Amino acid sequence: MRLAEAFQIIGQSSDPAKVKIHLLLGITPLHLETFTQARLMQHFQGAGVDIATGLYGDLEGNVRRACDETAHSAIVVIEWSDIDQRLGIRSSAGWRAETLNDIVNQAEAKCRRLASQLHELATRMPVIVAGPTLTLPPMTYQPPSEESDFELRLKLALAQFLLRAANHHAIRLISDTQLALTSPIEGRHDVNLDLHAGFPYTLKHADALAGLFVQSLFPPAPKKGIITDLDQTLWRGILGDVGVEGINWALEGKSQGHALYQQLLASLADSGVLVAVASKNDPGIVEEAFRRPDILLQSSSVFPMEVGWGVKSEAVGRILQTWNIGPDSVVFVDDSPMELAEVGEKYPAVECLRFPSDNPGAIVDLLWRLRTCFGKREILEEDRLRLASIRNFAEHRSEEGSEVSADFLSRIEGKVTLESAGSDQRAFELVNKTNQFNLNGVRYSEAEWKTLAQRPGAFLATVSYEDRFGPLGRIAVLGGYCTDDACHVDVWVMSCRAFSRHIEFQAIRQLFSKTSAAEIRFRFKSTERNGPLKSFFAHFELNGSTAEGELVLRAEDFGRLCPRLFHQVNDKWMMSEKN
Amino acid sequence: MDDVREKLSRCFALAFPKMDPSQYAAASAQNTKEWDSIAQLRLLTLVSEEFGRDIDFEEFEGATSFQALEQALQVQ
Repeated sequence: MRLAEAFQIIGQSSDPAKVKIHLLLGITPLHLETFTQARLMQHFQGAGVDIATGLYGDLEGNVRRACDETAHSAIVVIEWSDIDQRLGIRSSAGWRAETLNDIVNQAEAKCRRLASQLHELATRMPVIVAGPTLTLPPMTYQPPSEESDFELRLKLALAQFLLRAANHHAIRLISDTQLALTSPIEGRHDVNLDLHAGFPYTLKHADALAGLFVQSLFPPAPKKGIITDLDQTLWRGILGDVGVEGINWALEGKSQGHALYQQLLASLADSGVLVAVASKNDPGIVEEAFRRPDILLQSSSVFPMEVGWGVKSEAVGRILQTWNIGPDSVVFVDDSPMELAEVGEKYPAVECLRFPSDNPGAIVDLLWRLRTCFGKREILEEDRLRLASIRNFAEHRSEEGSEVSADFLSRIEGKVTLESAGSDQRAFELVNKTNQFNLNGVRYSEAEWKTLAQRPGAFLATVSYEDRFGPLGRIAVLGGYCTDDACHVDVWVMSCRAFSRHIEFQAIRQLFSKTSAAEIRFRFKSTERNGPLKSFFAHFELNGSTAEGELVLRAEDFGRLCPRLFHQVNDKWMMSEKN
Repeated sequence: MDDVREKLSRCFALAFPKMDPSQYAAASAQNTKEWDSIAQLRLLTLVSEEFGRDIDFEEFEGATSFQALEQALQVQ
């Protein structure tokens, strides 16, 4: 983005600020502030953004003062001159050996102080940290081609500081590797502007940083599943032509790209991403190929395997049905442009990516693309359980037929556990990624999420589930507040993995029971995707086709129309006394 | 000459969005409240981008009016 474009974006909006964000630095904010504001406004489609900055040369003070204010989040930009002024080019305190030793000692102490301050700030709001992005000035007598003891000790102090900061779940560090892709190190420092105004960044570097701030503050929801082709994709060779021993994925077979792809899929599966196969092949020989001892993606990590001679898009459709997730949460990888086009036409929301089997460089690019699609900050227990629960339930349903009967539900020994959500990260994640069973589609920032629980009479609970097919983990979140005359629900989501077990009915039964409310008022909004939620309301003769409004479910209607429930309920949900 | 004026006007429109375009020619740091040292840096960076030239901030430090900037850019 050019600076002129950034000013145009900022100048176009007359809307009141949608969010306030602290931009905390020791350098002059100048163009970094402009680019950050413009990129945030782009993200909010033109809505105003309030950027609060602090005093020049006082990073510590700026962080300390931000702790006393409320904001959506804080961006902390640290340069070497913030660690010690003598590490910047505006200082002339000398570069003699004793000075260098003192700088290292001071830097270690400063890093420790900054780490404590960042932890304090992170208890108030999410914090994005960009570590020093510029090179050090030529301070040591050693040739620049060699690492100096001084520079290594400084980098060690910095690395320890960043590692400590990264241990806090509300602190995220900007990746310098990613930054270097758009802002190579040699093009970052504007020496003239640094000396003239205390702003050391080139326009390109300031814009690249601003872009990463926005990506880190508002990352896209990670995709949930990947569907892969086999021949010339998961391995090199056509299985039907060359047989099980003829296909390969190894350095020796000049097919290392396929090995890397298998490794990546196995790693994604470990992190809770669903992996399925859609391949035009003979099922028997594919099964045999997956039994090869050197395969890196085990068949146990893949479900379902749609192997046959039918149309690819139909196989993709069956996989989506088994997973019970929307096409926009899925990536499809195939080497054939024709197959990609056919699937893309039937499911435009599926992200279709070509596997470039004869171009190793492009394969590595594809792997980075996949990491971007599926990147997540942490792996939760639910991620580990996902595949097993889908596999177990799907296999059992295929034995029972497509309809889940009361008789079936009475035999699966379902257990529902309700707990206060507190600061449960899973609850926040679930609310922000669930589409189908979602009361109103509202997404929350971390700051907004915290304020929800501070309302008078507020409640927020998670619902966990397990049955004899295994645990699903925490699969639903229910939140709202109670007034004298009713219980109001404005947060209600449930993972699509938990459908067909009547967990939603049990959750509402428990809410009626705990609040003794005569009625529950749901803040409903129709979205393109929340059909399953509408079906729930339709069961109680409530008009879920209303675009937006309050749907009122009376306790007596619920008691009359609720299906028979067979769950064992484990109630750990402590509601406050005022409820 | 017109080209310099037109480009400089575009920079003013971005740096001082509240200023009426008819006032650009007479504008200076003395008679424009928003024209402080930071605004001067922003303006000079916009000029550098618009004209595709490296601007020496020291050299342009005294160019704190539309006319002075126009003159300096024409000389260059």
